[in-house]
Amino acid sequence: MDYALTVSGLTKTYPDFRLDHVSFAVPSGSIVGLIGENGAGKSTTVNAVLGLIQREAGQVSILERETLDDATKEQIGVVFDGSNYPEILSPKQIHRIMRQIYRSWEGETYFRLLDRFSLPQNKPLKQFSKGMKMKLAIAAALSHQSKLLILDEATSGLDPVIRDDLLDLLLDFVQNEEHAILISSHITSDLEKIADHIVFIHGGKVVFSKPKDELTEQYGVLKCGAAQYEALDPSDRVVSRRMEYEWQVLVSDRHTIQKKYPKALVVPATLDEIMLLYVKGEAG
Amino acid sequence: MRGVLLKDLYIAKGNILVTVVSLIVLGFGLSFLLETSALLLLSPVASTTAVFISITSDASSKWSKNVITMPIARHQIIGEKFSFYLILAVLGVAAALIPCGVLALAGRGVTVHSLCLYGTLGMSATLLAGGISLPCAYFFDPEKSQIVFMLSFLASTGIITGLVFLTNVFLPVKEHILLAFAIVLGVAALWFCLAYRLAVRVYQKRDVV
Repeated sequence: MDYALTVSGLTKTYPDFRLDHVSFAVPSGSIVGLIGENGAGKSTTVNAVLGLIQREAGQVSILERETLDDATKEQIGVVFDGSNYPEILSPKQIHRIMRQIYRSWEGETYFRLLDRFSLPQNKPLKQFSKGMKMKLAIAAALSHQSKLLILDEATSGLDPVIRDDLLDLLLDFVQNEEHAILISSHITSDLEKIADHIVFIHGGKVVFSKPKDELTEQYGVLKCGAAQYEALDPSDRVVSRRMEYEWQVLVSDRHTIQKKYPKALVVPATLDEIMLLYVKGEAG
Repeated sequence: MRGVLLKDLYIAKGNILVTVVSLIVLGFGLSFLLETSALLLLSPVASTTAVFISITSDASSKWSKNVITMPIARHQIIGEKFSFYLILAVLGVAAALIPCGVLALAGRGVTVHSLCLYGTLGMSATLLAGGISLPCAYFFDPEKSQIVFMLSFLASTGIITGLVFLTNVFLPVKEHILLAFAIVLGVAALWFCLAYRLAVRVYQKRDVV
């Protein structure tokens, strides 16, 4: 399998936070969702991958290159939360700037995307809504023959209609098997729609890296009382959380668990529930 | 680097235009009070303020973060800011030379000597100030670097005074005033180059988030 991005043992220490040996991979032709609560280390991971911060340890390979040189950067489209372009500029001026920066800049693609998103070419960005700015950033990221798209909280703060438009665009992008997307978000419903793999980061560590289908098809939440909880085989419990009136237990194979405990209520787990149980629950 | 320079020109074009027009108007206005060539002291310094508008804009829009993901090396990002500073300083000098040239043609006593003297002094102050404030823009946050920017012009005048006194030890400044200020300009240019190297070294290792 070809990988657009591999991250291995990525480590970065701050006075109050440590990104601890983070490893995962983004196969070509896939969308990998990086999930985790605020402050879990998603943005630190993205920043380290993009060379914005110096890593203490670990390797990053992007499009089979260990060094993040200009040729590699040409093929990476990056979208952060917010447009990250000076607000005084207009989309047309951004085009003029970008064609000087990217050798592979495709003006036609850029203007076609502006049209698709109904973005005016000559208005300064300060007159754009947040959704329009995000669309512009994505249009720019997709206009220089990017093979890897990295989005850091790019859908945060957008309304569901605009988010849906963007998700459609991302699905279009990844139809080409040479393309891949790493998208970090705490809006797990977006990732449930589009991601092929999920990497869950908590406290600076990768808790799991699994195919999304495995999580949504096989993982489940067992809801039970205290007596039933005590009767559960500890090896069946991934994480457990004591609620006011019940226990919620994350299980990794809900169909087997349902057969094993026919009287228990086992429901499919959403990514939100999985994340919550890992963050707020206790192991076993 | 051209793309980043173009971006800065778009950001600062309003400020550049106002500065250039003001310098030209001021040049003609000054001619009634004092020697117009004295405008060359002020013009390169005044015109470089646009660099700090672009640095502040980069920080507030998080362009500084965005640009690092683009195919531009960090030393080129720094190099662009230093180049932009130099371009604006030269533009300031050129703007000041317009009224000087017109008034010289009108026989209003603008001499080559005074142009060289004030031009050298103005450029020295600008290079020294830029050598202090530009690296600091990458050491500190935008608020602190703006304070450094303002203080840098005070510091540059102090440094020039010191350099003139130092030059006077081995060369009588009053008798060789142009040569003395050419030496000061040389030191200022060297200082500016060293500041560029320092800024590059610091920025290469700096976390940009």
